[in-house]
Amino acid sequence: MTEIGRVRIRLPSAIKAGAIVKARVLVIHPMEIVQRKDGKVVDKNYQFINRVVVSYLDREIGQFETTQSVSENPFFTFAFKATEPGVLRVIFFDTHGGKYEGTADVKLS
Amino acid sequence: MESVTGGITRRALLQVTGTVGLSSLVVPILGHSRRASAQGNPANLVPEEPVDATMKRLFAGRPIKDGASVIKLDAPLIAENGAVVPVMIEVDVPMTAQSYVKAIYVISDKNRRPMNVKFGLTPAMGQAYVGTNLRLGETTDVRAVVEMSDGSLLQTKREVKVTVGGCGG
Amino acid sequence: MPRACLAVPPWAAMIAVVAVGCAGSAVETPTARSAQAAWSGTSAVSSSGSSVSRAIPEARGDITTLADGRTVAVRYPGWTTEDFGRFRTYAYGDTRPEVPISRVPMPVGTGDSKRGRALFLDRRLGPCTGCHLVQGEDVWPAGNVGPDLSIYGDRHLPREYTFDLVYDPRHVFPHTVMPPWGAAGVLSPADVVDVVAFLDTQRGPVPAEKDVERDPKTRGKPTGFGDNLDPTNNPAVLRAESADDRWATKGPAGKACADCHAGGVLAAMKGVATRYPQHVVKYGRVMSIEDFLAVHGPETTGISLAEESADNLDLTVRIKMASNGMPVNLDLGKPENAAALARGKSSFNRKVGQRDHACADCHTADGGRGAGKFLGGRLLVDVTSGMTRHFPTWRTSVGDVWDMRKRLQWCMTPLGTNMLAADAVEYAELEMYLTSFDQGQPLSVPGIRH
Repeated sequence: MTEIGRVRIRLPSAIKAGAIVKARVLVIHPMEIVQRKDGKVVDKNYQFINRVVVSYLDREIGQFETTQSVSENPFFTFAFKATEPGVLRVIFFDTHGGKYEGTADVKLS
Repeated sequence: MESVTGGITRRALLQVTGTVGLSSLVVPILGHSRRASAQGNPANLVPEEPVDATMKRLFAGRPIKDGASVIKLDAPLIAENGAVVPVMIEVDVPMTAQSYVKAIYVISDKNRRPMNVKFGLTPAMGQAYVGTNLRLGETTDVRAVVEMSDGSLLQTKREVKVTVGGCGG
Repeated sequence: MPRACLAVPPWAAMIAVVAVGCAGSAVETPTARSAQAAWSGTSAVSSSGSSVSRAIPEARGDITTLADGRTVAVRYPGWTTEDFGRFRTYAYGDTRPEVPISRVPMPVGTGDSKRGRALFLDRRLGPCTGCHLVQGEDVWPAGNVGPDLSIYGDRHLPREYTFDLVYDPRHVFPHTVMPPWGAAGVLSPADVVDVVAFLDTQRGPVPAEKDVERDPKTRGKPTGFGDNLDPTNNPAVLRAESADDRWATKGPAGKACADCHAGGVLAAMKGVATRYPQHVVKYGRVMSIEDFLAVHGPETTGISLAEESADNLDLTVRIKMASNGMPVNLDLGKPENAAALARGKSSFNRKVGQRDHACADCHTADGGRGAGKFLGGRLLVDVTSGMTRHFPTWRTSVGDVWDMRKRLQWCMTPLGTNMLAADAVEYAELEMYLTSFDQGQPLSVPGIRH
């Protein structure tokens, strides 16, 4: 698994002020699932993203509670209202204390 | 409403998990977590449970109305594998400060831990539209439970058949 | 002693035309390696003895012997380690015949139809449902490469006929693609009797179908995984970007790829991948991008780039991305390429393994073969539609990038034949044959598939 925490956000190219924009984001992460050995759960600190925080113009607009039953290299899409130019920021927190961040500039046409 | 500061670093973040399903608490950084209380340890995970127990734990018997007329739940009829199953949920209600979709829960009935994800939304999102890729353990009903800002609940569900085996692996 | 048909005369190696058009690379004097037979067959421990695989250890097709004398295969993590060495492989030197046609007397006894049903559905065996639909809501997912057997019992065929057919279909249907279950030792004669007993229970009227997806005739086709070139959809695209660093970083020999290939991967390698796989004069064999990197990388920069390593895969994806949108353009007029293509075609039609299958059995459409039909839950692709232009591909089921070689190696498991080394020339020439059907079609790498 290369580069845990690499994030890519995609926004539409032309955004009008006040439009509702659909954002797409992917982060490289193993999202470890519970392993079983001889029918018993292996006791270890499984590494998976358990929280996603979305902020726009430095204000939190969404927060996702995620689990091991979200796919590896998690993908999310969500909407936000593009009121002004500024930064869309998505932060992923995992169970190992990892914090991975991606940003996208919201430019209005 | 918790706030997220720019100061949170990669150092271990201890999280109290007795309140799964409600807003999660963030405790101040206490330094490196010890293995026994680490967030990802089985002891700290949601229990493996049948979906009825999950629903009870999350919604404590509150009435859940049929939301099929306003909730669009997109999922494949047949998933080629259970590892990556794309779902998209859209709720056809306005998002205003007075009334908005506060949360969308995605739950897969046959998964050992049925809740896949809880999306927490705010009016600033403008539209209740979310999507992700799920891991499914087997053919199952996938349901979207929508919680409105006034606490009312709606749900819809659909079956996703998971293809298994085959020479492609 | 190198095998004569593949050895490169020393003088030919002097005229080394390095196919990627690297203006700065030296024409090297022939080394013992380039004059040697170009690493064919299975592994260093195989009887051919002339191979020098440059793949990672789990991709070499090696067989090891345990202390108790049992042989096991060295494979990728999680793959079966069963040694299928007694069955024919794809190696050019493997002249053994297919599983011999065989017939045994039917054992006495009525057989156990319940056990027969369990055998019929058992994924460790056929499963028979991979090709044949039978009754039952729990039958998921059945295929339709073979006939629907839901009312087979109504035909009242003699039990001995069905026994012979399942034991070895070939003396009933000479051109069948159905494996010789008994002759190859997958099912014992007693097992086959139980299957016969089960088939006798398959009678009408068939219950009304409650689920259109259950029957492969009415099942919907897979819809895929969306835009393969969208980095927020395909993790392999994000992963490939890390190859740009590899390209620019100096290796142990003090050089980086970028030192000879200026301008970044996408600019320097534009168009290169459209000609691969091809015969490379310098190394005297057909090579894919993966094969070439595994030799060229260490020679020039000292960087390992072993075949099936993450570095090799990521660089291959990145180099192919440089040609995305450009048509596949193999030089099939060149005599060495044409000859290799003929050998690859022969491999495509070669029956191998315990299952006595050829690629053609699943991936061509005529004569009762499988293309366009479901094999279990998987829709079989027709080779003529082009199967390679999206490789290497992200595989959602394994969360990793697979190239053509790993995909071919995986096919070996259900065929019940030992895999060759990832860089075996047999696979390279088979890959060339498969790629010939993509000729003129635009590359779109990396793909994203199940």
